[in-house]
Amino acid sequence: MIQVKKLSKGFKSGDTVVKAVNNVSLTVSKGDFASIVGPSGSGKSTLMSLLGGLDKPNVGSIEVDGEDITKLKDHSLIRYRAKNVGFVFQGYNLVPNLTAQENVMLPMEFAGVAKNQRRPRAEELLNQVGITDDKQRRKPARLSGGEQQRVAIARALANHPKLVLADEPTGNLDSANGKMIFNLLHKLAKEEETTIIVVTHDLSIAGKTDKTFKLTDGKLEPGKK
Amino acid sequence: MNVVSRGVRNAFRNQVRTLSIVLILSLSIGLSLVMLIAHQAVGQKIKDVKSQVGNTINIQPAGYNPLSQANNALTTDNLNKVKSLPHVTNVIETLTDRLTTIGSSQPEGPFGGTTSNSNNQTSLASPITLNSDGNGSFSSSGGGQRLFISGGGSLPANFSPPIQILGTNDPSHLQNNSSATIKSGQLIDGSKDSNDAMVSADMASKNSLKVGSTFTAYGQTLTVAGIFDSGTRGGNDVVVVSLPALERLSGQGNVVNSAIATVDSADNLSGAVTAVKNTLGSSADVTSSLDEANNTIQPLKNVQSISLMSLIGAVIAGAIIILLTMVMIVRERRREIGILKAIGGSNLKIIFQFMSEALTFTILAAIIGLIIGVVGGNPVTNTLVTNSTNSSSQSSAGDNFAGPRTVKAGVAGGPVTFQRAGGGLVSRNVGGLRNTLTNINTNVGWDILAYGLGAAVLIAVIGSGSAGWLIARVRPAEVMRSE
Repeated sequence: MIQVKKLSKGFKSGDTVVKAVNNVSLTVSKGDFASIVGPSGSGKSTLMSLLGGLDKPNVGSIEVDGEDITKLKDHSLIRYRAKNVGFVFQGYNLVPNLTAQENVMLPMEFAGVAKNQRRPRAEELLNQVGITDDKQRRKPARLSGGEQQRVAIARALANHPKLVLADEPTGNLDSANGKMIFNLLHKLAKEEETTIIVVTHDLSIAGKTDKTFKLTDGKLEPGKK
Repeated sequence: MNVVSRGVRNAFRNQVRTLSIVLILSLSIGLSLVMLIAHQAVGQKIKDVKSQVGNTINIQPAGYNPLSQANNALTTDNLNKVKSLPHVTNVIETLTDRLTTIGSSQPEGPFGGTTSNSNNQTSLASPITLNSDGNGSFSSSGGGQRLFISGGGSLPANFSPPIQILGTNDPSHLQNNSSATIKSGQLIDGSKDSNDAMVSADMASKNSLKVGSTFTAYGQTLTVAGIFDSGTRGGNDVVVVSLPALERLSGQGNVVNSAIATVDSADNLSGAVTAVKNTLGSSADVTSSLDEANNTIQPLKNVQSISLMSLIGAVIAGAIIILLTMVMIVRERRREIGILKAIGGSNLKIIFQFMSEALTFTILAAIIGLIIGVVGGNPVTNTLVTNSTNSSSQSSAGDNFAGPRTVKAGVAGGPVTFQRAGGGLVSRNVGGLRNTLTNINTNVGWDILAYGLGAAVLIAVIGSGSAGWLIARVRPAEVMRSE
């Protein structure tokens, strides 16, 4: 379970401080598929960074299974991210000179998974997301956008994370591919018992998630539950 | 796949850029190695030259000129002070004079004919024979000794070449660094005032002398105590007597005109030279083989310092090249670094990955650089040494200290002068060394290869150090935000 309490994060812009996340509190249960919606600049990505332990808040706490990650030191945060969080980005962000399989194996290496377990796990995940056979040994440039995003999802799930954070995962895809990715995330959330939080502009996608949080000017508005 | 193999693979992400970086870096490493090879080879040559020079000090009266009668004397009292100096183990004192054969005439000149002291006559005849060169003048060749007739003059009909008489306190050592090998009889005692003499085998043969035979010089009868061979033709035109005997016979009591002091170690040579100079003051010219060797090897020292500076410069240039390359690569891959951090990559692992990449560049460059170093080491070293030696020779043009001495032709009908060819002991030694200065052999051993690889690793570590600092500063959240 993820419990966010009175979370705030501000950035200096000249002489003024812009509050990207302002006093946000929310709760997401284990295995939930939640979405965060809001216009550009509303603080969605900042909230994602805080939840993923990429940044630290000015105020507030984030408890993941009872552990407050805002109090973790940098090296502990790296371990937390490696073992507990998977990221899916709008621009896929695969390492270009590694094959699809090697990209999926990368977080396992960082998490200290034994060498002989990495490749079978990567193959299994890639098969689950529909990247099979020789495509697994292709570099990202030789895969379509949809295929790259599926590899990114497989990479995010590599270490059986408690939490997958997807920032506009369908933003660069056509509607058919976007729908396919959404369904994939949904399916995996259920199969892997992973909590998934998706940032999206697409209200049709947001409407299909278990929970939706609407963010405006860094503040959370009551949304669909 | 681990951080190292990922780093190696990343090095080839952009092959054109990799090729450019490797080529530039290999030139830098190659230049470093060439300069290292030159530095080592020249250093070894300097060491060799110094080890060949020896540990002797030459002492001559101030302004000594063998063609002049003026100020050509040191006193044995002064040299006794030198003997007592620290580190001076031995002093060989010599006095030379010239004898003319009774009944012969000498050409006009400061040493010949009517100006010669009639007391300096001997019953001996020089073993040197004269040959006509077909130009109306005569030359006499005898190995290291030549007589040159100049000024258009001609020799008297009954001319006989003069004979050198050497008085020494160490008859086993002759002039020009030759030693006397006794063929029959024995060495005379250099410290004893007696009329015993040593003559060369050539001289004995020419004058039908045996051990126990007698001959006259300075109006006195001298007895042949030993017959020697100096190993040189010039050295065999000499009569050797003890130093006190020649001082008495020539009427130059307590006088020597040359001395060689031996120092216990070449390391103490410089200090001993200073001590001798301080002891003898302005009355003597004190030179050591080290001084002259230092002058001779100055071009090598110049090359050594140039090569050292170039070596340092090339290593720094290499480090800057790889540093800027890695800074550029890190800045270019900020997003990728952010992603790696986001998915659990630690700073250390990512820095190692980039260091592996830098190391790949530098090892590839080192391999090419080693080839450049091996191929270019010898010619570059020789070019540097030759150029430096030539410019040094040009700047010291007119210095004839090492070359054969010849007498220039004088005015027609003018006085006839002659001079022996060849310089002194030190001059000839150092002159020979100067001739071999440019003969430098470079060696590329395992140590050079190890230095090359060491330099490559050093360059990679230095170059990727700043990249590591930049990597540590990349915050994954900033990268995410900019998406």
